[in-house]
Amino acid sequence: MEPDREDESFVKPGLFLVAFLAFSSLAVLHAQDTPPGILVSRQLAASEGLTVGSIVRLSIDAAGTHAKEFTIVGIYEPTPDPAQLGVVPREVRLHLPDLLDLTRPAASVAGTEFVSSINVALVHPDDAEGFSRDVNARMPGILARPSSEAAGSAGPFKVLERFHLAIAVVTIMASTVFLLALTMMLVDERRETVGVLRLIGLPARRVLLQVLIEGALVAGVGAAFGLVLAVLSEGLINAFFQWRYDTALVFVRVTKDVALTSVAIAVPLGTSATVAASWALLRRGGLRLARR
Amino acid sequence: MRALGFAARSLVRQPARATLGILGVAAVGALLFDMLLLSQGLLVSMRDLLEHSGWDIRVSAGDLPGRGPRVQNSLEVARRIAALPLVRSTLRVRMADAQIDRPSSTPIRAAFEGVSALSTTGADMHPPWTVTRGREARGPHEVVIDDRIAAALGVGPGGTITLRASCVSDRESLPPVRVDVAGIAEFPFAVSDEDAIGGTFEALQTACSGNVGDDADLLLVTSTGDSNETAAAIRTAVPDLRAMTNAEVVGRLQQTGFSYFRQISTVLTTVTVSFAVLLITVLLTVSVNQRLGEIAALRALGFSRSRVVADVLSESALIVGSGGLLSLPLGLLLASVLDRILKDMPGIPVELHFFVFESEALTIHIVLLVATAIIAALYPMRIVSTLPIAATLRAEVMD
Repeated sequence: MEPDREDESFVKPGLFLVAFLAFSSLAVLHAQDTPPGILVSRQLAASEGLTVGSIVRLSIDAAGTHAKEFTIVGIYEPTPDPAQLGVVPREVRLHLPDLLDLTRPAASVAGTEFVSSINVALVHPDDAEGFSRDVNARMPGILARPSSEAAGSAGPFKVLERFHLAIAVVTIMASTVFLLALTMMLVDERRETVGVLRLIGLPARRVLLQVLIEGALVAGVGAAFGLVLAVLSEGLINAFFQWRYDTALVFVRVTKDVALTSVAIAVPLGTSATVAASWALLRRGGLRLARR
Repeated sequence: MRALGFAARSLVRQPARATLGILGVAAVGALLFDMLLLSQGLLVSMRDLLEHSGWDIRVSAGDLPGRGPRVQNSLEVARRIAALPLVRSTLRVRMADAQIDRPSSTPIRAAFEGVSALSTTGADMHPPWTVTRGREARGPHEVVIDDRIAAALGVGPGGTITLRASCVSDRESLPPVRVDVAGIAEFPFAVSDEDAIGGTFEALQTACSGNVGDDADLLLVTSTGDSNETAAAIRTAVPDLRAMTNAEVVGRLQQTGFSYFRQISTVLTTVTVSFAVLLITVLLTVSVNQRLGEIAALRALGFSRSRVVADVLSESALIVGSGGLLSLPLGLLLASVLDRILKDMPGIPVELHFFVFESEALTIHIVLLVATAIIAALYPMRIVSTLPIAATLRAEVMD
């Protein structure tokens, strides 16, 4: 593909190369003419002590061959990328023509380079599907995809979602067992009280209703406490991991859906555990329950 | 009766709560065991993969082998490396995207690995794949393919496939080329969502219609002696490139690629241990509180303070011990399920595993469970050790 020489937008392809070169052969210089502008990632600027207005030299190899001067016109925060977790993004962003001038092999004629991708903004975004089909049909060798399908990194996160779900299921199972054991002991402690209630005439169904309401209340309060704990810890966890990995990535987010799902699981589970634990007790006679 | 036997009888007296306690510990223990397997699993698996590949050192132009820019003038670089006295053999590896044509269906996308060996010692060299059927590919018109391609095309050794490879840019439109299938091979480093083809450098040139150049994605090196010394010698000989031993590659991956799973493993290990401590503490505390009169009576009958404390500790040890034992098979079963889920992740080599059994993980698991049993028993032990005998018995009688 022939690149658009008038394109002034920043490009991402090829940045790894430039980023690699940046930290291996960066040198701050002073120049009389103002060289082309570049953006530098916050992490690279911090580690190399670069500031807006600094003039740096970039080269395509560590030896600094054919290095060119650039002016830092801004420091930017890189878009958080979970796939790059743990890798400090030491990147620079150049205007596409500047990047091509820098990386073009000596034997290549200007304008014959290729670019990795072209982003197209449509007048009618809903036509993306049809437009892609049209381009694919008219230009063999070119692959056009709507942006929604081009999110190649969606795969890992779908897998991680399933992984987290599996862990959540195991945790819920363990919690259920824990809850059952606990409620059984708590119910056992109230055996005499239940026996007295039965002896003064309350039917088993009435006592069961009381147990059910109690269970629901305890489960509801527990779920609310859990949500408050999650919301409070959300900031702490994000702050810790953002500091640990020097990233703006959000690691934990308690969304409305997550909160509702948690409550929808916790309250019925807690209530059912209480009722299940009480069931055996309520089947016994009042006299037997009250007897020591 | 010894404390352990007495504790066992106490648990048998309350079968439902004892069973639930043991099952709870088993479930939590299984998750804990899995997190311990996960914490080092990828690294252990990757180390095994690298060590079984037979190559000691990987030379590349990027930070990690196979990532980043290619090695330019790779033949000359390979010659300089092969000439080093510590080097037994060198293999250039060049990757390309390929499409295998199918008559009535969409093409199969595959990664083509072209290799070229160089040795000054005459040592045997094997490519980064293992032929399982047929024979090794030789010359410019033969390839080996993986099982999935063979199954999808219905082709075996002796068959022919039509492919078009893109060696320089994936935007190339190259003419299709017919090559012979010499064998079926396993590619341990091939990623799970991609099929693989292997052949010589010449075969790759054929597939790319000669449009390959002299650059390589990485060079694999076997040394005659210590790999660290050999890597240092290579770094001196080709200072622009990075020569990494297997241990260094694993160390580099530890710093970057696998950090997410180590973090989640640490977090979940902490959570599960805390959960187990809480579970056993609550179970024992409630159980002890319900038996205060009984314990006071035992003290009055002559049981020493240390003896009743030992009973509580034994009870905790029995619950955690039985649950811990159950957690091992449960954990291994769960690990296989979680491993299958995670292996769906794109870009993961088929032979790489997230959960790998290691004796060290088992030791840590046992240590953590023992610590759980002790810590969980501390509070109930304190209750029984400070129990006023006369007052408790009096309260029991009055009640």
